[in-house]
Amino acid sequence: MSKMRSVNSAGLLACLAAAVLLHGCGRVDVNSPQIRGIAYVRINDVVKHHPLYGQLSQINDAIAAIDLEAAGPNVPRSAAEIASQTKVLNAELVAAQERANKTIAAAQAQYGAREQQAIAAALAAAGISGGPQVGAQVNAQSAAQSRAAVQAASSDFLAYERSVVAQSNAASNAIVQQLQRQAEQKIRGRAMEYQQDETDLSLRLTQQDAASRLSIKTRLNNLALDAATNKRLRDQLAAMDASEAEQINALRQRDAKALSAYQQQVRAQTDAQIHAQIGKIQAQTQAQIAARRDQVGAQLRSAAPPSLPANIPPAVRAQIAAIHRQYGQQFAADAQKTVDTFNATKADLTNQFQALHGADVGATGVAAAELATLQKRHDQLTGQMADQLKTEAARLAKQRGFSVALVGVKAAPGGYDLTNDLIKDIESLHE
Amino acid sequence: MKNRSLTALIALVALAFAIVPSAIASDLTDIGYLDQAQIGSMPEFVAANQRLAAYRAQLDGQFAAAMKAAKSDADRQNIEMQFQQRFSDKQKELVGPFFTRAQLAIAQVMAKKNLSVVVDKRIVVYGGVDITGDVQGLIKSGQAIAPPTATPPPSEIGFVDNTALDASPKIKQANDALAAFAQDQRKIFAAKMTQAKTDAQKQQVAADFNKTLGDKRDQLLKPLADQVKSVTAGVAQQKKLLLVVDRADIVFGGTDITKDVQNALGK
Repeated sequence: MSKMRSVNSAGLLACLAAAVLLHGCGRVDVNSPQIRGIAYVRINDVVKHHPLYGQLSQINDAIAAIDLEAAGPNVPRSAAEIASQTKVLNAELVAAQERANKTIAAAQAQYGAREQQAIAAALAAAGISGGPQVGAQVNAQSAAQSRAAVQAASSDFLAYERSVVAQSNAASNAIVQQLQRQAEQKIRGRAMEYQQDETDLSLRLTQQDAASRLSIKTRLNNLALDAATNKRLRDQLAAMDASEAEQINALRQRDAKALSAYQQQVRAQTDAQIHAQIGKIQAQTQAQIAARRDQVGAQLRSAAPPSLPANIPPAVRAQIAAIHRQYGQQFAADAQKTVDTFNATKADLTNQFQALHGADVGATGVAAAELATLQKRHDQLTGQMADQLKTEAARLAKQRGFSVALVGVKAAPGGYDLTNDLIKDIESLHE
Repeated sequence: MKNRSLTALIALVALAFAIVPSAIASDLTDIGYLDQAQIGSMPEFVAANQRLAAYRAQLDGQFAAAMKAAKSDADRQNIEMQFQQRFSDKQKELVGPFFTRAQLAIAQVMAKKNLSVVVDKRIVVYGGVDITGDVQGLIKSGQAIAPPTATPPPSEIGFVDNTALDASPKIKQANDALAAFAQDQRKIFAAKMTQAKTDAQKQQVAADFNKTLGDKRDQLLKPLADQVKSVTAGVAQQKKLLLVVDRADIVFGGTDITKDVQNALGK
């Protein structure tokens, strides 16, 4: 009897111990007054443990990179905008030059006429006949001024040539950079598409195998499992991992091959575009230089040599020389003002031209399109991750016996925080 | 024999103790949810919104013309207020009746299902009572919807208006400081970006920029966010609430503790 009692007591103790053990083995009392069947998840914390979080960070960095590039000191313009603004600047330069030439020519004619009249008057006063003719001859000396101006034009031609070549080089560099950047953006975009496909496949396979994997893992956690079954289950798990890895690797290899072919194609296209664009710029440069050379040549040909009559007395000659100096100085001062105005206009236009061509021709349009694509991918990926996390959270909540599970909780004096459990779950699904 | 039966009974109780929760408390079953996007896509609502958008487009033209003709800042402010009022009146006229009907439908379904709170579907991961179908049915029914005879029962789900809390001087100051810092850093990192030659270097500059902003955000805003969270939790506990969500996620009912949190923060 006493033996019987002691057996029963032992059974009772064992049962109680088992019960206490079962109760204490990490199970949550979901119906306790503090929890009342409600769970919540801090989704922002879980998302950092999602296997695709790294990719999301990369997208964020790529968005920041584009944003920072756009915030740089250069004003991004498209190639078409640059071409159109260059045309405007060139037209302004030509107009300024024509204005300056006309002003100088008018001044030259005006001072020449006044000089001629003054010389004629001086000769008449000195009693020398044929004053107007002599005056005209002396006045021919002002042609020397023209020649000096043409010489200046000639030296200006050299400066012009250098400036046009420099501008042409800047334009060529800008176009090369632009085309190369566009090519890299295209390649990067395609690489991201492939990466997205690989991520999608990885996610799909994980979701597809999630139930089987969980079931195997649950069985593996059973301590009473015999060695053979344990090995079989581990083999199944390994086979599942291998199959997933094989599919992903196969896709990666296909993508790498396709990307390499695409890179070659885009780079060949870019090289051809660069060649064509640079050829066009060089042709334009040569045409501009040739036009200026013709203009300067015409000026040189029209310049007359100075000629002075020999029969004029020294006093009158001195008087005429003084008249000529006076009008020459007045003309030079007037002409200098015009030249200064022209040079200021030209310097301004050159600065604008350089700023235009030095600008980042990465083109706002291309950057904006890339930004929109990245933003779309960011949203898609966030959506995919959130969906998967919510699905897993729902499964866990149901499994643990909760009535309701929420996200977006601001404070929680009660309820059960399912966040860490979900993190473990997500990590185990993707390990 | 009697002992054996007693042992078995105790064992069963013990096992039951293991399986059944230690303290029996009723689960919160009065939480409903509504798919607001689905309600928003109902033809009546879409049509009302389209009419409102057309009115907005027409108003925008008039607004631009009026602003152009304005002579002073005071004129502009006056014009802005007038147009805002006109838009608000039209919104009430076009969307208001549908909105009111939807609110009445939600209140009636809530009362019928003994719910204390209805939240937006987006924040419900599991469980809860989906009232979307019932609300839609009631709106479509054409019958007059009587207002509920009583207010919803007090809910153990509370809510705070985050927009109001964010407008507090401390948080606003921190947000302004962060915005100024971000602006300065943007210039600094934009200059660094021009020096970066390769994609890897550019990516690194961007990552450093994001990290710098993230660190500053943590430094400026995290202590305040933690304080708000702690104060909110304290108020919620005093009011015997289980969870607190954002006002934006509440469709109907719930316990508003915004003022209490603001007061506690101001102490």
